[in-house]
Amino acid sequence: MSSEKKYWKSAEQLKENSPLVEALEQKEFAEHIPADEFLGDKEKLEGSQTSRRDFLKYVGFSTAAASLAACEGPVIKSIPYVVQPERIVPGVADYYATTIANGFDFASVLVKTREGRPIKIEKNKEATGLSAGKARVYGSVLDLYDIKRLQNPQIENRDVTWTEFFASLESDLKAKADKKTYLLTQTFASPSTDKLIKEFQENYPNVVHLVYDTVSDEAAVDAFAAKYGYRALPNYDFSKSEMIVSVGADFLADWQGGAFDSGYSKSRVPKNGKMSRHVQFEANMTLTGANADKRVSVKPSLQKQIVVEVYNQIVGKVATTNLNSALKNQVDSVVSSLKSKASGGAVFVTGLDSVEAQAMALEINEKLSSRALDTENPRLIRQGQNSKIQTLISDMKAGNVGALMIAGANPAYSLPNADEFTAAMANVDTTVSFSMKKDETAKLCKYIAATPHYLESWGDVRFTKKDFSLMQPTIKPLFNTRQFEDCLLKLNGNSAKYYEYIKANFKSTYEGLSWNKSLHDGSYVFDMDLPKTSDVPAIDIPAGAKKLVSQSDSEGLELTLYTKVSMGDGSYANNPWLQEMPDPITRTSWDNYVTVSQSDAQALGLENSNVANGALNGDYVTVTLGDKKLEKLPVIIQPGQAPGSIGIALGYGKTEAIQEEMQVGVNAFPLYQNFDAHQTVRLEKVSGVHEFACVQLQHTMMGRRDIVKETTLEIFNTKDKHYWNATPEVSLNHQEVEVTSPEVDLWDEFDRSIGHHFNLSIDLNACTGCGACVIACHSENNVPVVGKSEIRKSRDMHWLRIDRYYSSEDTIQGDYELKNDISGLNSAIDTYGDLENASEGDLQVIFQPVMCQHCNHAPCETVCPVAASAHGRQGQNHMTYNRCVGTRYCANNCPYKVRRFNWFLYNQNDEFDYHMNNDLGRMVLNPDVTVRSRGVMEKCSMCIQMTQKTILDAKREGRVIEDGEFKTACSSACDNGAILFGDINDKESVVYKKTQDDRMYHLLEYLGTKPNVMYQTKVRNTTEA
Amino acid sequence: MSHYESPIRKPLVTGDKSYHDVTLDVVRPVEGKANKSWWVVFSIALIAFLWGLGCIIYTVSEGIGVWGLNKTVGWAWDITNFVWWVGIGHAGTLISAVLLLFRQKWRMAINRSAEAMTIFSVIQAGLFPIIHMGRPWLAFWVLPIPNQFGSLWVNFNSPLLWDVFAISTYLSVSLVFWWTGLLPDFAMIRDRAVKPFQKHIYGILSFGWSGRAKDWQRFEEVSLVLAGLATPLVLSVHTIVSFDFATSVIPGWHTTIFPPYFVAGAVFSGFAMVNTLLIIMRKVSSLENYITIQHIELMNIVIMITGSIVGVAYITELFMAWYSGVEYEQYAFLNRATGPYWWAYWAMMTCNVFSPQFMWFPRLRRSIMFSFFISIVVNIGMWFERFVIIVTSLHRDYMPSAWTMFSPTFVDIGIFIGTIGFFFVLFLLYARTFPVIAQAEVKSILKSSGEKYKKIRAEKGEDAKLYDEPEQEPLPDFSAQFNSKSNS
Repeated sequence: MSSEKKYWKSAEQLKENSPLVEALEQKEFAEHIPADEFLGDKEKLEGSQTSRRDFLKYVGFSTAAASLAACEGPVIKSIPYVVQPERIVPGVADYYATTIANGFDFASVLVKTREGRPIKIEKNKEATGLSAGKARVYGSVLDLYDIKRLQNPQIENRDVTWTEFFASLESDLKAKADKKTYLLTQTFASPSTDKLIKEFQENYPNVVHLVYDTVSDEAAVDAFAAKYGYRALPNYDFSKSEMIVSVGADFLADWQGGAFDSGYSKSRVPKNGKMSRHVQFEANMTLTGANADKRVSVKPSLQKQIVVEVYNQIVGKVATTNLNSALKNQVDSVVSSLKSKASGGAVFVTGLDSVEAQAMALEINEKLSSRALDTENPRLIRQGQNSKIQTLISDMKAGNVGALMIAGANPAYSLPNADEFTAAMANVDTTVSFSMKKDETAKLCKYIAATPHYLESWGDVRFTKKDFSLMQPTIKPLFNTRQFEDCLLKLNGNSAKYYEYIKANFKSTYEGLSWNKSLHDGSYVFDMDLPKTSDVPAIDIPAGAKKLVSQSDSEGLELTLYTKVSMGDGSYANNPWLQEMPDPITRTSWDNYVTVSQSDAQALGLENSNVANGALNGDYVTVTLGDKKLEKLPVIIQPGQAPGSIGIALGYGKTEAIQEEMQVGVNAFPLYQNFDAHQTVRLEKVSGVHEFACVQLQHTMMGRRDIVKETTLEIFNTKDKHYWNATPEVSLNHQEVEVTSPEVDLWDEFDRSIGHHFNLSIDLNACTGCGACVIACHSENNVPVVGKSEIRKSRDMHWLRIDRYYSSEDTIQGDYELKNDISGLNSAIDTYGDLENASEGDLQVIFQPVMCQHCNHAPCETVCPVAASAHGRQGQNHMTYNRCVGTRYCANNCPYKVRRFNWFLYNQNDEFDYHMNNDLGRMVLNPDVTVRSRGVMEKCSMCIQMTQKTILDAKREGRVIEDGEFKTACSSACDNGAILFGDINDKESVVYKKTQDDRMYHLLEYLGTKPNVMYQTKVRNTTEA
Repeated sequence: MSHYESPIRKPLVTGDKSYHDVTLDVVRPVEGKANKSWWVVFSIALIAFLWGLGCIIYTVSEGIGVWGLNKTVGWAWDITNFVWWVGIGHAGTLISAVLLLFRQKWRMAINRSAEAMTIFSVIQAGLFPIIHMGRPWLAFWVLPIPNQFGSLWVNFNSPLLWDVFAISTYLSVSLVFWWTGLLPDFAMIRDRAVKPFQKHIYGILSFGWSGRAKDWQRFEEVSLVLAGLATPLVLSVHTIVSFDFATSVIPGWHTTIFPPYFVAGAVFSGFAMVNTLLIIMRKVSSLENYITIQHIELMNIVIMITGSIVGVAYITELFMAWYSGVEYEQYAFLNRATGPYWWAYWAMMTCNVFSPQFMWFPRLRRSIMFSFFISIVVNIGMWFERFVIIVTSLHRDYMPSAWTMFSPTFVDIGIFIGTIGFFFVLFLLYARTFPVIAQAEVKSILKSSGEKYKKIRAEKGEDAKLYDEPEQEPLPDFSAQFNSKSNS
């Protein structure tokens, strides 16, 4: 530090020419130190002795002093509250109801905050609108603590103050008043934002508002508008359906906004001998297809024919189809099933991006008088008019655009013709991006208004005609950000804050509703008319049908673009939880890829292979669509992929405002021509192999019936439990007894008479495999992210995984039978060899969430030399992290393979540069759960911190705990009721009843581990009716 | 000591050695200077050891993640090496204790080195349970020592804890037994030493051995007692090591045949390692007259027998898997033989079951080169046996969703090579500083080992007639008596 400061040593310095000061300047010490005399006298110096003892003392002292000086205890700065906020009690979580509405995901959520930090997104159970049960929604809290967020507004890449920002922007906007100003936004579905935009347009008459959805549902919206007069999406309640037919609609994932799965699951659990039947025609293997009772893999061109054929048979003939006889028969049987549900229990949906196809689906449902279709309360969460983007681009090219303002969208990344768009942007003088990050679009803009995360924002959202939801901040903005609406208010010259604006808006619009209550609940219901749309052209179904049918086989492969449940449209690309979440179907993380069928792969010479440590490799292809070319996409050979079709996930390949570790995959948006997910492309093999990070390398169950038990509805209804869910038996004195009976038990039972005994039930019928529980578990339990290369080494840390098995025969039952028919060594070798491979034709898929089974007789507990794995009174198998020495014996001896070892230090380690390596990212950590150090084993704890909290709260309040109060992260995250948790000592509890259910079985029951996690046998409705 | 020499006994010490010759032969490497080849081998071993040490330091500082392990395969080379080294150690105890109790005098030429091998290999083995821990600095937690963590105690149910006791007992008993035997021989070196430093050191090492009759009497007693203690250890140590697997629930581990199978396998690999070491040592240290072809042949016979026992065990496992009717067991063994690690299984089968069968041929088992070759093959096979048991059982167990593979990293390999280096560093140092033959004991059999017949053999070759059949007197004729008796 060079400084010109003068340091006063004494009052003497004030005097001029003080002899003392002068003397001191010459000498350092006021008193004389006889160093010269001592050192100068050579004789004396040589004569003086340092004994060996003294020498060693000096050495010892200086070594100790030097090493002590080198040690510095870590300094953790913590600042106490000067004024303790009234609501924040350290150690006690606060919950706020709010809403996520980022243009792609819309949901009412409950936010758990600790010491003022939002740490977890939960489901808002009381909300009436869209439910949160999605992995992305649960993962969105991590985006709040993204180090790549913009921290200040910028003008021309320079951080500025908001005052400067608005002064400059307003003058720019006014200067361009003679040209058009385009406002390109996401779907806000927000009454207040819409109003605000209108006011903005009044202030600036040259403003054109254009709504853009990254993944478009314009066809469905237009079809709905043509028929019902509202620009909205039809709503479906699948719980009311008995027969579901879907042609290419992935409604359990993101089709038309998603969130249909809870209704679907309700209809899938057999009740009184009945459950719905679901038939899926699709090209890619999707989550929806994987859950179907009958899945028929057909490429998109044939899907179009099927839609027309179904329309022909149900509504009336419009066009002649040319389906082959096998497919025709299947369609016929499906149609007769649809027709047989005369009471309106049938529903037909399609995922084709064609107005006509969507219109036909609406007609079919009307004809079937489908109860599942709800046209009274349509969805407003997709309002994009993507077809108008081209006018914007041509306007920009022509120089008609003076200003372009983009909010919540990233067209430079997500437009199919992003190059054209960015080139045209050069013609626009004033470009503004309202963005949380300096993404592909913001980077090119002159102005970047740094916006807050939704957890720092206010807002109101209208999900459907009747269902509204409110957004409130759960934390003070972390950075110098200002939400889009506040910016608009400022530009409108309105000095109110957006909070005041929506509050005023609320009070004036929704008569009889309480603002405070609605804000507290997060959602409200209000029946209010939607504006009618008049300018929608009528749809000519016969002509459209002919067009659909005429699109016959063309050269190349038919591509279906899709979004992953983890990555969505790509806005979560810098979220390590979601990047590391395995795709439910391929179980591959950190990548997108081309899924191809076995037959096409053979024809193109494409291969997947496993290297010495098991990791998956895949060949590269180049995908060509017209003049667009995607280079080097890796290939996964996907069982169930329709021959002649391929699939690619959108949302990958982002490179801006994203950590290097997370720059994975290839951007497939250039293939999203005309915003149609179905394209015809050419594939070409190119050299090189891609290294995948796939967490499941064996895709079939090897016919092991002890793992997933499955039966058909017919057998379930007619046969005894022992036929389809027999408990394994062992011989005791030549008598067959059940393995669960105490007389064959090697161990003494634990005393369960006192206190709680927790059990977890997983219903394989209700589980769709969506993976929301996986992310909820991550969030609750501080599960580390390990990165692509570690995942590739089979070192994923997920406490809860969702296993996905393909059948090796046509059906899972076929696998069981094939294995039972083994006789002799050669047959065993051949059959097991066959069973290792997934079926290349028709197949069934099954999902099974697996976490620690909390065995009452746990194999891991007996083998730990230091007793770090121990049994709890309440049924949990405990893991004592600080006692663990890391022998990994427990993991080896775990038959369920649920134990996870900390191979490295995963937090505060630059090798693992994810959220746990920076102060901002660590804010998401749950303070109730230890962050594990390296070298220790970890696993599911049955969320003991949550159950203990429940117990202590009840104790403090002096009351009995009610059924349903005990929860785990996974059980409360599941929208579908697939995971239920509770106390089986409470004989009235739901989970106790589950233990008594005929469908109940334990995983690998014959081992006698007596798990506290149970599964409910999967029942498939295979009856053709 | 009787001076009667049995003519049918093959001589145990050849070359017409006197007591003094024995002393000189044993003390030569200690008193002489190391030759160039010793230095070359020692340098290679030292480099390997240092490389391994580097890999260990890297592991401890970074985490177990530097090995090739994963969520499914939690043990691989670490425990394979552990069991392999413990197994090798078994031959030493068997030779020195069991053969002592059975009065097998041929052990005297080889027991010293065999036991040295035991101790050095148990040291290698002992490294692995410590470094394979995620937090090795807390390794002392596996010891049942009083602590400040409340009533926190070790888990006596865990086979890994039994291992701690078994290995530490084994190491200490072996060390005491070995040292006891070394006392008179150290004393001999001490008495011959001319340099004061050497005299001093060997004086300390020999614990003040004076050679009095009382010393010898106590020596004999202690040897017998320790042999009695060590004999059960031969069985118990590897039994307990096998419990690590046998008491688990993993198909392919959960097998009651493991204890005898492991003990046989341990003796098998141990004798092979003794053969490897002594075939070199007898040549390098000119001990051909003490470690004779006969010794090698006897060890080859043990290898052949234990190899066959191991072979029977392998086949029994397959039979039991089939007979059990348990699909997981059946698949585990099918997967071993035909799955992705089939090559490891068949390497094991070839090396351990087929190769020792050559020892049925006397010509082969008396061939030094062939014995050496087979001893190496057997140890490769036994390493694969442990690899097969550990990795191929784990990599595909109950849940197919967790199935994966294992591939070692350079650190896995480096640590294994490092332990081999460390072993040879210790053994080479031993060979130059310790009396490698129990000379005091050998001297006791010098006179009973067929001095006279050795000479006949030396003159007339191996097949010489060593003695004359005694002429048989015709039996007296009893027929008359018999006849008369019957008549009366």
